[in-house]
Amino acid sequence: MITIDNLKAFGANVEAGVARCMNNEGFYLKLVQKILADTSFDRLKSEVEEEKYSEAFETAHALKGVTGNLELTPVFDMVCQITEILRGGFDPADKEELTSLVDGVTVKMNELRAMN
Amino acid sequence: MDNFGKSSRFKRKVLIVDDEMINREILGNILETNYDVCSCENGKQALEILSESRVHFSLILLDLIMPEMDGFELLEIMQKNENLSSIPVIVMTSEKTAEVKSIKLGASDFITKPYDLPEVILARCERIIGLYEKNSIIRSAEKDELTGLYTKEFFFEYIRQFERFDCTKSMDAIVINIEHFHTVNEMYGREVGDEVLRRTAEVLTQRFEDVDFIGCRTDADSFYLYVTHLDNFEDLPDELSNAFGQNPDFPQVRYRMGIYQDVNKDVPAEDSFDHAKIACDKIRGDYTKHIFCYSQEMSDKEVYHERLIRDIESSIRNKDFIVFYQPKYGIQGERPCLQSAEALVRWKHPELGMISPGEFIPLFEKNGLIQKLDRYVWEEAAEQIRKWREKYGVTIPVSVNVSRVDVYNPEFKNILDDILSEAEITSRELMLEITESAYSEDAEGLIRLIDNLRDKGFKIEMDDFGTGYSSLNMITTIPIDVLKMDMKFIRNMHKDEKSLKLVELIVDIAKFLKVPVVAEGVEEESQVNTLKKMGCDLIQGYYFSRPVPPEEFEVLIEKELNSQS
Repeated sequence: MITIDNLKAFGANVEAGVARCMNNEGFYLKLVQKILADTSFDRLKSEVEEEKYSEAFETAHALKGVTGNLELTPVFDMVCQITEILRGGFDPADKEELTSLVDGVTVKMNELRAMN
Repeated sequence: MDNFGKSSRFKRKVLIVDDEMINREILGNILETNYDVCSCENGKQALEILSESRVHFSLILLDLIMPEMDGFELLEIMQKNENLSSIPVIVMTSEKTAEVKSIKLGASDFITKPYDLPEVILARCERIIGLYEKNSIIRSAEKDELTGLYTKEFFFEYIRQFERFDCTKSMDAIVINIEHFHTVNEMYGREVGDEVLRRTAEVLTQRFEDVDFIGCRTDADSFYLYVTHLDNFEDLPDELSNAFGQNPDFPQVRYRMGIYQDVNKDVPAEDSFDHAKIACDKIRGDYTKHIFCYSQEMSDKEVYHERLIRDIESSIRNKDFIVFYQPKYGIQGERPCLQSAEALVRWKHPELGMISPGEFIPLFEKNGLIQKLDRYVWEEAAEQIRKWREKYGVTIPVSVNVSRVDVYNPEFKNILDDILSEAEITSRELMLEITESAYSEDAEGLIRLIDNLRDKGFKIEMDDFGTGYSSLNMITTIPIDVLKMDMKFIRNMHKDEKSLKLVELIVDIAKFLKVPVVAEGVEEESQVNTLKKMGCDLIQGYYFSRPVPPEEFEVLIEKELNSQS
């Protein structure tokens, strides 16, 4: 069960997230639930694997928006970094960092799913 | 926001466009506080909603990166669409570069992601909606719906703004009027009339699109243009007329233009257009001229008239207006005898000298000041009647002129009563000369008034008989006591058979009405003799005397008294 408390423990800035949801905790939690099912995370992973970097940028950008709005800080921070790496074309030198970040996102999301 | 929007029945509608469901949910949840929220996933859907919907959206919150049609594309489309371009858009982005591009495409504001606090978002939405609504009200008030030109008030406001930015340019003020526009409406219908106005505005806007041009429509059929100076606008009236081509469904439209060139920037724009209007009015009805420029001469005349208007009060106070009297002689007896007088006003202006009544009477009639002047003349005449009665023991009736404005003044009867009692004379002594223009409006009201006056004992003289359009009509409906034949008939009476017969006929009309007839402007003995033979009762003219001041009139009275004894 995703709760306010275990989200806090996860590292989410729950206070900000709930405030953004008009102080409606139930509404906030409902939305967090929804993001667990979001296929964009998998898509990001496969797009990076397939070296489709411009698509990956857009996916990452979209994820940045939603994870930011939900204040899922651990995931958000990594998605931000991914977005910056992918912005304006891809430098092969960054490949390692990118993959590591994408893996990191997967790990964190699985953590969240495990809580549910 | 005014309270208007906060009540649930009148909640404004907001459209959220974002491809991420979570974003739509969060934003929607925030906005539902104050608005009815509608949402969709991309630009394409948004366009469908906006195009088909009879619902009016007060605001759009637009994500930029979306599949199918992104935010930029939607902004571009909206910008080009007349209806959509008036809806404010707040763009949602975290990219600085996107901000500039969005602004250029017409976005009003930004919301970053992650979203600000709900209060901040709500406040921004409120502010933007408020600004746009106010703007839209102003915009709808500022334009004339039919032609797309400005309305008069905004026209002058825009001129003021324009001048603030560059007042060194030479500009012309032009007033364009469509001749007989009401006839166009009557004969061809309102729709054709409207189309004429629309096309006029179109031609003007196109003609002046490369120069500075501010235009408006005023009244039904006039256009004011404030435009970069051009030496020659000669071809414009024809260009306008030709805009309708040979289309048989359209009337021949004729325009007249008044131009005040190189306007004086030290005076309000309204004054400049007054000048142009004067020039435009000057050629009304002149089929040879379509353009007229306001000239220094007209300017001088205007200044002169302003002066006269300014000075009337003090001149009345200082008795610069002098009442002269012209005698009327009865000619049917053995010898002509003095019967009555007509009071005529003269203006001896302290600085400008003698000003002819032809100059100031029409002026004062136009602006209503004639009432002040007439009243003064009536008071003087009444007083004079009393003085002569006291001095000579005889009562000499004096007729005074009553203008159209006086007749329709509800205080008229009371004023007359006051004057009579003040001078201690009766209504039989003060005769009222009413000229034909007074008869043109509200005939019923006039008849009532005249009956009333006659009941009180006043005698009504119809002045300038025969000169207007409805003399004959009038005399059958309105009761009069004396007919005054206009001097034009007398002047021409010995020219030919026809003119002579005309005079005879008028005398006959008077006889038929059983009223005495006065011939005005009699100068020669031959005229007197002919008139006497015809049966004319009274003569007023230079033959006996020109209008004279009271002292000189007394000489005539004394002469008359002496010949009587």
